[in-house]
Amino acid sequence: MHVGSRALALLVVFALGLGPLAPAVFAQEKASELENLKKQMLQMEEQFQQLQQQIEKLETKKIQEVEAKANAALESSKKTFASQFNPALSLGIDTIGSYKSHRQAFNPGDGTAGTRDAGQPINNTRPAGADFNLRSAELFISADVDPFTRAYATINASADAANNDEAILSVEEAAIVTTRLPYNLTVRGGRFFADFGVLPHRHDHDLPFVDRPPSLATFVGGEAQTNGVEVSWLAPTPFFLRASGTVGNKLGADFRDGVSDVNSRPIKGLTYMGRLQTYFDINDDNNVELGGSIAETPNAEDVTNSGRFERRLVGMDFKYRWYPLGYGVRQSLTVAGELLHDLGEADPVNGGPRRDIFGNAVRQGAWGGYVYAEYRLSKQWRPGVRFDYFQLQSEPLLVTNSFTLQPASTLNATGHRTDNRTWTAYLTWFPSEFQRLRLQYNRSDRGNAQDANEFFLQWTAFLGSHSHGFSERE
Amino acid sequence: MTLVWCNRLWALAFALALVSSGMARAEEKIYVVTTLPDLADITARIGGELVTVESLAKGIEDPHGVPIKPSFLPKLNRAQVVVVMGLEYEHSWIPALLSEARNSKIMKGNIGYIDASLKVTPKEVPMDLSRAKGELHPAGNPHFNLDPEGGRLIAQTIAEGLTLNFPQHRATFEANLKAFLAQLDAKIREWKIMAKPLQGVRFVSYHQDFTYFADRFGMEYVGTIELKPGIEPTAAHLVELVQSMKTEGVKVVIREPHFSEKVPSQIAAQVGGQVVKLPIMVGGAPEVKTYFDLIEYNIRELLKAAQAAGVAGKV
Repeated sequence: MHVGSRALALLVVFALGLGPLAPAVFAQEKASELENLKKQMLQMEEQFQQLQQQIEKLETKKIQEVEAKANAALESSKKTFASQFNPALSLGIDTIGSYKSHRQAFNPGDGTAGTRDAGQPINNTRPAGADFNLRSAELFISADVDPFTRAYATINASADAANNDEAILSVEEAAIVTTRLPYNLTVRGGRFFADFGVLPHRHDHDLPFVDRPPSLATFVGGEAQTNGVEVSWLAPTPFFLRASGTVGNKLGADFRDGVSDVNSRPIKGLTYMGRLQTYFDINDDNNVELGGSIAETPNAEDVTNSGRFERRLVGMDFKYRWYPLGYGVRQSLTVAGELLHDLGEADPVNGGPRRDIFGNAVRQGAWGGYVYAEYRLSKQWRPGVRFDYFQLQSEPLLVTNSFTLQPASTLNATGHRTDNRTWTAYLTWFPSEFQRLRLQYNRSDRGNAQDANEFFLQWTAFLGSHSHGFSERE
Repeated sequence: MTLVWCNRLWALAFALALVSSGMARAEEKIYVVTTLPDLADITARIGGELVTVESLAKGIEDPHGVPIKPSFLPKLNRAQVVVVMGLEYEHSWIPALLSEARNSKIMKGNIGYIDASLKVTPKEVPMDLSRAKGELHPAGNPHFNLDPEGGRLIAQTIAEGLTLNFPQHRATFEANLKAFLAQLDAKIREWKIMAKPLQGVRFVSYHQDFTYFADRFGMEYVGTIELKPGIEPTAAHLVELVQSMKTEGVKVVIREPHFSEKVPSQIAAQVGGQVVKLPIMVGGAPEVKTYFDLIEYNIRELLKAAQAAGVAGKV
């Protein structure tokens, strides 16, 4: 380019002024010009080589710099810290403000109100009045153990009224789960929420409502905790079919056993559980889930350790979901429920045998369950309604059908109703996936106790890696 | 004598059983499950006749919020290979499903788990991770499929992944990849010419989906309707957004199909602009049946919107 333009300039100068001069002068000029050009060419070549060397030098320098930086970063990442294998952590904070209009002590008819309270759900034994309660600060820890197993634990600290409202730390779950067994099998062992029903194995803060449905709270007694071993199997079918079997020392809070250094437990004193569940897509937007569960304790010690009795809890659950694929995130409907039947020989509240009105020990059943519907109005707002019903297992009933062993009436010996109904309406607001506010109203009609109104305001937040597992899916 | 015949019959039956099972296996196609439909389309191109591909999510869904359907489990349980977009695109649903699918082959870290983001240089990698910044993707923005060059990287990664799992079909996968990339290259040349008027066009979208697309075609991202990734807008944020759109002359509002129409329309009306509904995956609009359709549809619709809003550049 440069050479070209110089030659052009030379030509222009030549044409303008030097043209008319003598050819001799031109020959001389030409020779020296050629010499000059040669020199210039040589100089340029030299410059070019210098430049090339400089570029190479710079390039190597740059590469060395980058390499030094990268190596430093690599080296630092190569260092092994003891904390590098730390498990995933998550903390759930669940706090509740509540107001209740009356204490609902069940009156069996002998005038001593409150002596036979209807189970121990949180919203029933609490006296009337207002309260604020840190229900739980729950630490969830999980990680792979090795190529064959993973493990998780839930450590919960919740305010305990019996301990001057100071938190008591408890291990809610601590379990080991296999990850690569053949034949679609998985084994879980330790302390865990047993695979019984749907909501019984949800943590309190993961429920769709503030409180646990009173029927579940009464029949299962809070979360379906057990210590034992579970084997589950995913059927190799084109549709979803899952079965599980569990042997544990209890289910929830109701199954107790006074095992100690001096008292042993017969093998029949363990709880044997089974569950079968399936799922169908009706079409892209509608689906149904069905399940059945059983928990049988052939020979369980009762709550007062006064004898051994059989108890069988059977559950059926369903869930219907309308979740349009295109906009289900902001508009969808869930209708779900569980039906439980508790058949047994023990009085789960007062201990000893269940008795009929004549005072004879009987094997007697009670029904309970709930159904709820929740509508998603937007990504943030979800209102819902719930109805809950249960019969008291501990109350001698006026008439028992001798064929089905079912209560044929819900009146007790003194003509008082022993069944319980709770109507609930709630509204949940999700400012984000990790924070939730919920307002709930319960109208509780418990046996012959006075109806009570309850209001709850729940505020829940999650820190850290809060990801839902398969069994906690919505 | 009878015993000998019996033995021969058994041997024959056994041999027949072996042969028939072998034949069945030879004819059986490789079953691949992908999380998202773009991956299914590209895997079908690479695998050709050798594979049967199924996508768990459909194109109209919110890819971050696909419901965990138990009916996905039998599919994942049978899958020989699973293909995910990666960069934690599917973090809210695929880990829960994989841990329950009882198929260790396709667990993360094993060869049956193909992460399509492996060759991608991620954009918008957060400098510090805090939930105060919304539902961040720690590994960077995962919407690289909207950039056709991203499609190239996806195809290459899938071809390598399939070859690793089924080395006996290497030649087929390589030939199919070559054909796919040749077609993609031709398309990219076309698209670059087609999208020239989009250069310098400023826009907002509901979610931060279009970073890679905008960078490829020279568009300018001004903001999102969401307050932060995954967080619905507050009133104050919308006021600010409209203000900055007015100052910067932004007239194009992109709405992804799974978001409600209301807010984007209101914003567009306030700035006198246009809302354009753009799919972010194959199947997100009825006409978008392949990966090529997806890119072409988005360019075409954006051109229409930019022209209607009077912000399209002259070629």
